[in-house]
Amino acid sequence: MAAAPATTEAPPDALAGKSLGERTWLLFRRDRRALFGLGCVGLLIILAVFAPLLAENKPIVLATDGGLRFPLFATLTGEDWRFLFYGIGSTLIVLLRHKWSGRTGLGLVLGLVLVTEVFCANWQRFNDITDYRELRAEGTWMLLPPVPYSPYETSAADYAAPSPTHWLGTDGLGRDLLSRIIHGARPSLLIGFFAQGICLLIGCTLGAVAGFYRGWVDLAVSRVIETFECFPTFFFIITIIAFVPRPELWHIMLVIGITSWPGLARLVRGEFLKLRARSFTQAALAAGANDIRVMLKHIFPNTLGPVLVATAFGVAAAILVEASLAFLGFGVPPPYPTWGSALSEARVAIDFAWWLATFPGLAIFVTITAYNLLGEALRDAIDPTSERP
Amino acid sequence: MTTYLIRRLLLIIPTLIGITIITFAISRMAPGNPLAAQLGMGGTLNAEAISQETIDRMMERYHFDKPLWQQYFIWLGDLAVLDFGISSVDNKPVLEKITERLPVTLQLSFFSILLSYLIAVPLGVMEAVRRGSTFDHTATILLFILYSMPSFWVALLLIQFLGSGEYLPPVFPVYGLNSPGVLAPWEVSPGTAWDWSLLPAWLGDRAWHLVLPVFCLTYTSLAALSRYARVSMLDVIRQDYVRTARAKGLNEQTVVFKHALRNALIPIITLLGSILPALIGGSIIIESIFSVPGMGQLGFESILNRDYNTVMGIATISALLTLVGFLIADLLYVLVDPRIRYD
Repeated sequence: MAAAPATTEAPPDALAGKSLGERTWLLFRRDRRALFGLGCVGLLIILAVFAPLLAENKPIVLATDGGLRFPLFATLTGEDWRFLFYGIGSTLIVLLRHKWSGRTGLGLVLGLVLVTEVFCANWQRFNDITDYRELRAEGTWMLLPPVPYSPYETSAADYAAPSPTHWLGTDGLGRDLLSRIIHGARPSLLIGFFAQGICLLIGCTLGAVAGFYRGWVDLAVSRVIETFECFPTFFFIITIIAFVPRPELWHIMLVIGITSWPGLARLVRGEFLKLRARSFTQAALAAGANDIRVMLKHIFPNTLGPVLVATAFGVAAAILVEASLAFLGFGVPPPYPTWGSALSEARVAIDFAWWLATFPGLAIFVTITAYNLLGEALRDAIDPTSERP
Repeated sequence: MTTYLIRRLLLIIPTLIGITIITFAISRMAPGNPLAAQLGMGGTLNAEAISQETIDRMMERYHFDKPLWQQYFIWLGDLAVLDFGISSVDNKPVLEKITERLPVTLQLSFFSILLSYLIAVPLGVMEAVRRGSTFDHTATILLFILYSMPSFWVALLLIQFLGSGEYLPPVFPVYGLNSPGVLAPWEVSPGTAWDWSLLPAWLGDRAWHLVLPVFCLTYTSLAALSRYARVSMLDVIRQDYVRTARAKGLNEQTVVFKHALRNALIPIITLLGSILPALIGGSIIIESIFSVPGMGQLGFESILNRDYNTVMGIATISALLTLVGFLIADLLYVLVDPRIRYD
């Protein structure tokens, strides 16, 4: 990895004297696929973090006799606040990462978690049942979110085709489809993040141990990998999810995470086998570094490239599995808005409500495409001379 | 070669044991009383309906009174003689239920694999030969888009626009494997000779019904395969022996198809092993959307009905099929490429 071959595709002056990471990032940023993928994922994050500000039936700002009020914020749930805190907080930390040392960064992350959790634990949600749209019709000034419908709000206008009132139409209970799609960005984002996180944890650990210790450890781990690869994974995910009467999102993330690691483990094992034989590993071991240190500090950083690529594809796969589960009715139970369950509900109206199947599917498709594009661009950036599918 | 073969076959044993352990463990993780599940009572035993004596007898009969590890070995012993137990839904032997449904799924998988290879390989080769052309770029982008489209979404859109007749005239049937009333030659009347005159109509009807499900199962693996085919071909075309073939004046066709393609095919053939599990997973969704009475649909229904004997049977058989797929792929690798030696 350290001695990546000089590339012919980029001018050498731009890459000269750069570390592998900087070089990869430069090539990655130049890739149109990467830009598109990053844009879509960024949009997904914005939709997930700001979902209530984009699609909710409470006004963000309301003019009353006593001044301005902000009814939307009083009705936010703990989940809404978590998304806002973590979303905005982690974006700030990432953007300003050069301003402080690693230790301060860690402190900031812990502080963010602490503040958020304390705030959410003490948050009292106000159950506001005022019909603000009626108030607005009476002439009160207010600023409603751009999509003035809650994802849970039913209405008499069922199966309404896309129109200026409901931009993407409504479903069988008269709920606004666009609002449900915006809020559905949340489970998709979380699934990608956490399911793949679990998968990384298991896959990297097992792969590293097998590749580092070789011998019978490798033989045993390889059998475990093969066993899990032979399993009809999707079938098993459904079986396990069916055990849980009312599955929540974390059940699904957990099950997807613990069934999707074999490919990654195989990859990490291969990289470790290769790097274990390299002289820098031998040198570190000879210098007396213990096994864990060698694995974490010397070998693992060198596998980051392929692992990142696999992660991007893995996120896409996890989102697809979650959507398939929800489509088959094994997702988070209704009325929770997910794209897969929206598609599942579209099945009963398949012969007249084209918008119900089209738009949620499009959302899944664009998200999966974005992550796959990121993976492809990343792979080409890490090894520009390679020609892989 | 023989050593490799023996070692490869021996390594199957731990994998097989692993598969059975996980299958068994998951079936015992199911909530509720296993006896109640076995009797199809939805996980709770109604003590008023059944006397304690009967419960005890049943517990003994299904070995639920023994420790878990003994239960596992009893199940394993039954498995060795292909006895998967009895379905709690209709009391039919699980094996019988599966063998009824397996041909349908194999039919879908067979056509799907066949079509993927028949289209993907020439496509990939053509892309590689004309690398960098408009054709290459267009095909790459199209295949990438296909690869990222969720199959159940595509299936819904196809049903909506090609099957429902609401937006376009209905082109394809979207339900089942045959239209009602179209009989197969062996379905006329049991016991009598087959009526061969029915065959063309039946085959045509079956093919008509298979178009959409097979398409939905095919396009993802097709996209993946042709991307592999392209890359594999690009790798080979750069090799010295291809340059030599060109240099000695062979025409392009001979170079591409005789010298390059044969070698490029090696990694693609071995992908067969990994396509199979994907198809089995995909068949659950596609069969349930198109109401195809295959193993995927049976599995889906069994999970819904908490019919764990059938679930375990299907899981074991699918895992076995996949294992065989991997094995075939490994052996093909050795057989196709004489350069590879494993001893």
